[in-house]
Amino acid sequence: MAANTTQTAPAANWSYGAPEAQTVSENPEWEKARQALASISKTQSATKTAQANRTTAQAGQFQPAVTESTAIQQQQQQQYYQQWYQQNQQQPYPGYTYPYNYYYPMAPGPYGGGGYPPQGQYGVPPGPYPSPTTPTGQPPSLPMMDDKSSSYPPQPQPPPPAAPQPPPQSPTSSEHPPPPPPPAVPPPPNSQYPLPPGQNSYNPNNPMPYPNNDPNQMRGYNHNQGRPSYGQSYQTQNSYQQQQNNNQHQQPGPGQYGPGAGRGEANKNKNHQQQQQQPQQQGGQGQQLWHRMKQAPGAGAMKFNIPKRPYVMTNQSFPPGEQPTGLAATPSSPAAAPAAPGGAQTRPQDWPQAMKEYVQRCFTACENEEDKDRTEKGLKEVLQKRLQDGSAYTIDWDREPLPELKAKQSRWEAVSTQRTLESSVGRGGGTGGATRGRGGGARLGHYRNVFSQRSPSSSSSGSSSRSPSPSHSRHRDRNGQRHRRSDSESQSDSSMSSDLRTQLPRRNQKGGRGRGGDRDRGRGGGERGRGRGGRGNRGRRNMDDANSTVLGKKRKGGNAGLDFHDPHREAKKQSRAARFHNTKMRSEPLVLSINNLELPKEDLSWDDCPIVGTCQEITKIYLRLTCAPDPATVRPVSVLRKSLLAVKAHWKTRQDYPYACEQMKSIRQDLTVQGVRTEFTVEVYECHARIALEKGDHAEFNQCQMQLKALYKDNPSENIGEFTAYRLLYYIFTKNSGDITTELVYLTPALRADECVSHALSLRAAWALGNFHRFFQLYRRAPRMASYLIDKFVERERMIALRALFKTFRPDLPVEYVQSSLGFLCLDSCMAFLTGLGVTFFPSDPSKIDCKTSSACLAAS
Amino acid sequence: MAHITINQYLQQVCEAIDNHEGSFCAELLSFKHPHVANPRLQLASPEEKCQQVLEVPYDEMVAAHLRCTYAVSNHDFVEAYKCQTLVVQSFLRAFQSHKEENWALPVMFAVTLDLRIFANNAEQQLLRKGKGKLGDMLEKAAEQLMGCFRVCASDNRAGIDDSKKWGMLFLINQLFKIYFKINKLHLCKPLIRAIDSSNLKDDYSMAQRVTYKYYVGRKAMFDSDYKPAEEYLSFSFQHCHRSSQRNKRMILIYLLPVKMLLGHMPNHQLLRKYDLMQFADVTKAVSEGNLLLLNEALAKHETFFIRCGIFLILEKLKIITYRNLFKKVYQLLKTHQLPLDAFLVALKMMQVEEVDIYEVQCILANLICEGHIKGYISHQHQKLVVSKAHPFPLLSSSS
Repeated sequence: MAANTTQTAPAANWSYGAPEAQTVSENPEWEKARQALASISKTQSATKTAQANRTTAQAGQFQPAVTESTAIQQQQQQQYYQQWYQQNQQQPYPGYTYPYNYYYPMAPGPYGGGGYPPQGQYGVPPGPYPSPTTPTGQPPSLPMMDDKSSSYPPQPQPPPPAAPQPPPQSPTSSEHPPPPPPPAVPPPPNSQYPLPPGQNSYNPNNPMPYPNNDPNQMRGYNHNQGRPSYGQSYQTQNSYQQQQNNNQHQQPGPGQYGPGAGRGEANKNKNHQQQQQQPQQQGGQGQQLWHRMKQAPGAGAMKFNIPKRPYVMTNQSFPPGEQPTGLAATPSSPAAAPAAPGGAQTRPQDWPQAMKEYVQRCFTACENEEDKDRTEKGLKEVLQKRLQDGSAYTIDWDREPLPELKAKQSRWEAVSTQRTLESSVGRGGGTGGATRGRGGGARLGHYRNVFSQRSPSSSSSGSSSRSPSPSHSRHRDRNGQRHRRSDSESQSDSSMSSDLRTQLPRRNQKGGRGRGGDRDRGRGGGERGRGRGGRGNRGRRNMDDANSTVLGKKRKGGNAGLDFHDPHREAKKQSRAARFHNTKMRSEPLVLSINNLELPKEDLSWDDCPIVGTCQEITKIYLRLTCAPDPATVRPVSVLRKSLLAVKAHWKTRQDYPYACEQMKSIRQDLTVQGVRTEFTVEVYECHARIALEKGDHAEFNQCQMQLKALYKDNPSENIGEFTAYRLLYYIFTKNSGDITTELVYLTPALRADECVSHALSLRAAWALGNFHRFFQLYRRAPRMASYLIDKFVERERMIALRALFKTFRPDLPVEYVQSSLGFLCLDSCMAFLTGLGVTFFPSDPSKIDCKTSSACLAAS
Repeated sequence: MAHITINQYLQQVCEAIDNHEGSFCAELLSFKHPHVANPRLQLASPEEKCQQVLEVPYDEMVAAHLRCTYAVSNHDFVEAYKCQTLVVQSFLRAFQSHKEENWALPVMFAVTLDLRIFANNAEQQLLRKGKGKLGDMLEKAAEQLMGCFRVCASDNRAGIDDSKKWGMLFLINQLFKIYFKINKLHLCKPLIRAIDSSNLKDDYSMAQRVTYKYYVGRKAMFDSDYKPAEEYLSFSFQHCHRSSQRNKRMILIYLLPVKMLLGHMPNHQLLRKYDLMQFADVTKAVSEGNLLLLNEALAKHETFFIRCGIFLILEKLKIITYRNLFKKVYQLLKTHQLPLDAFLVALKMMQVEEVDIYEVQCILANLICEGHIKGYISHQHQKLVVSKAHPFPLLSSSS
């Protein structure tokens, strides 16, 4: 213990200096509590139950992970669970103070699987060992861990060498291998991450946060929990984590913790620093730690592993995640408060997992140190009460509102980010995937941090470093099985846990290589610097596109997280992400507004909402519609028939075109509004077209012609030929040869035979060839109202013809000939026309035109 | 390429855009490229994926394109047209933002070409259902093209290497195709003016120039400006790629009537080579002054000529036929004072209905007025008095 304390103190001092002092001061308490917890845990852990409890607790908290990890013994565990829960709950409380210890022990069970088991063992024994070696040794190892964690891959990597040592040490040093390993492992995580997650989380949490954050803390933790037993192997890691957590909690811890993730990272950073600083100290423990560290390096890899392990790991991870967050949070605030009470009443290990999770949640919700401080205070009070009156074991922690901060959005965000991280981490270190479900964001978030740090720790703890199965899936399974086994059998568990740990870290390492490397790179220096700030972690989380994205995907996929991502992929992703950032990507979902491009469907609008008029007025003033028609002002077809007759009669008698036109337009409007397109409609339009034609109303005539063309498709009328001829004639008037050609295309032989159409075609041919003689012959014989249309351009044609005549005939041309050729009905009209043009007549014979002079005259005009 | 995944496709598009590979990007957006038949790309709602990979204007463009492929695979050309409209609109947004660069011109060519084609198909589809109105879709497509044209034409920077003006002629050609189809030839005038005033008009690709001249020549022909029409169409025919036999045939369909109106008769080999034997009898009738044969030939191939839009032009060959017929009368009578009855007999021999002396005078008046005959009619003597020198001047020299 002394050693532990000393260790912690120095560590605290080392890393945090002033804050460390606090942490240190706090740490001692924590450590005590942890130690107590550890001892308890050890005792318990010694027994399978402890592990089971832990596992169960973890499982409970991180149901998935735990369950998975423990999967083998799940049933047993389940049975145990209740017991475990109780125990755990009890433990947890103390655990809070020294939750890590408890957790560690707990963790060992789970973590044990995780690979910290040795720690757990050590944890217990560490007391002896740890005190001396662990503290210092741990710190160094931690630093290593930290370095790795902080630097992620790089630092972790160095530790690995140490890690190898640790494993032997951890187990060996533990000497108490059987019991210690599981407990030891768990304890550290626990200590670090108060609850069982600690184990799983240990690796992640511990390595990451603790080592990085505060070597002091680490030590402190170690001192507290690990120092005793953990101190050596697990403690180092665990302790680191714990210490870090403690430190964080105690000192800046909150500040560091500030954000849940931030804490973790901060811790990591601190831990890293501590570790870096302490590496030398770790020495013997350090070796164990180193072993762990090795794993830790793996931790870097851990990350990678994590993803692969997802489920199992998740379970483990979750606990760790919880631990990390919870740890950081719990240890500091709740730990402090509960520690005393908890220590008295219950040990962190005994704490209900739900409560541990709750604590974690509380801390994950914290964005800054102030929040953490507040949370700690609040949690202390709450948890003490709960633990004292026993409600802690009965209430639904999941629904318990977060203390001070309560439901801040920031928390959730942080949590979410954390979750992602945690999940990834959890996978790596987590024993059971079961926790995932419950794990929620907070756990996950912590996990990552934990992992980075933990992984190193785990590696160290895993000193035994059993070669993790190459395949992640296998690892997962093995881990899960192993954990389960470990649960069932404490000793075996420890070994198993160690294996798991080692495996996990390795996995992590693997993952770490790809991802971890990126993370480290990206986060590398920045994180460390930030780490203390606490927010840095978040920032990192956010910053790490690769991680976040990868993690997120992995999370979704569950196991997917474990998948390796080759550097190239990540590089691509990053480049892509960078591109996105640099370029203007659509922020809102893209919606192809294709439906907005409505095609013109004039008719449909009326067909869609048919109206039947009720107005009985025969005449009606035409008003352009500006709104939806009112049936009361619309005349039904029966009335419109009368109206049409009335208009015709009025027209025949009065020839009042304005009146007729208005009435016809109102009739047309009523028909249109009611969607009436029948023979009667055709009749109306034909009638109006004729009237308009007679009066030379081009606009109305063309409107009617257009409507008739469409109407004729559905309502064949005997007047089709007539109006087709009108159309042809109109095109002659407009000299639109293109439209004429188009019209010719659609002329059926039947239509061609129509009187009006054949006449129009003949006229067109005469007109096209300048055969004015024939043209005016046809003009005189124009059927129906065709002459009205021809009138529009007959003057034009006469001019052309006249020009040709004057140019052709010499020396003179009789007026009569002109009159007959140009279709004048009488001589007078012809004379008027010629005189109007200034045609010159021979003075000797006024009936003869002087073509030569007149031609010049016409040309001039 | 044809079976790439959506992600691969989007990646290619993305890289093509990033690297300013206009031609490749154009391929990826063109319906001439086999990828449009790739079922993996025919997505009903590709928005999300496109949005994930591509930047703002492009994601919509590609998403609309992919949905367009989906619509085309369903033979829903109305939907395809709507999608393609979106493609063009979103492209235009991107195109407008391209300052001092014109790498996207090939893309514009691809998307605008498809837009016109889909507008055409959509209109046919709508008309078969009895909906819509002839020309509506094409007019709306023309509006889109005009939007592109304005962007190109407003690039007034001095440098021509990266000028968007290089896209003008292609757009004008597309617009011509639409305007000719919907008989809105008057809308061509400002476009022609834009090219006439362009300093690049002789530097565009020959393919585009050939197309441009083809339409300008057709327009001149419809405006009865036969000399310029012959010039444009001849250029088009001579420079049209030898492998584009179909295009050369299309050019000939308009070039032949113009040439005949100007007195140049095609030989049999040419007509046979381009499978235009419908003109054979017409050519023979005109050169012989055989009005009867001409009427028969026109009646026989009326549908073909009407569909080609040249029936009214060929009809004017009657005037040339009159001239040749009357020239024969003149050569037979061997006098400069030709009685009008002689022409009446000739016309009646050609079975012209209801022909009388007034009509003979009318026909002669037109020939004289147009310069095909040098002379005058003495109403008093009912005789045509022709010039002693070249009473029937060469068609190619008459105006």
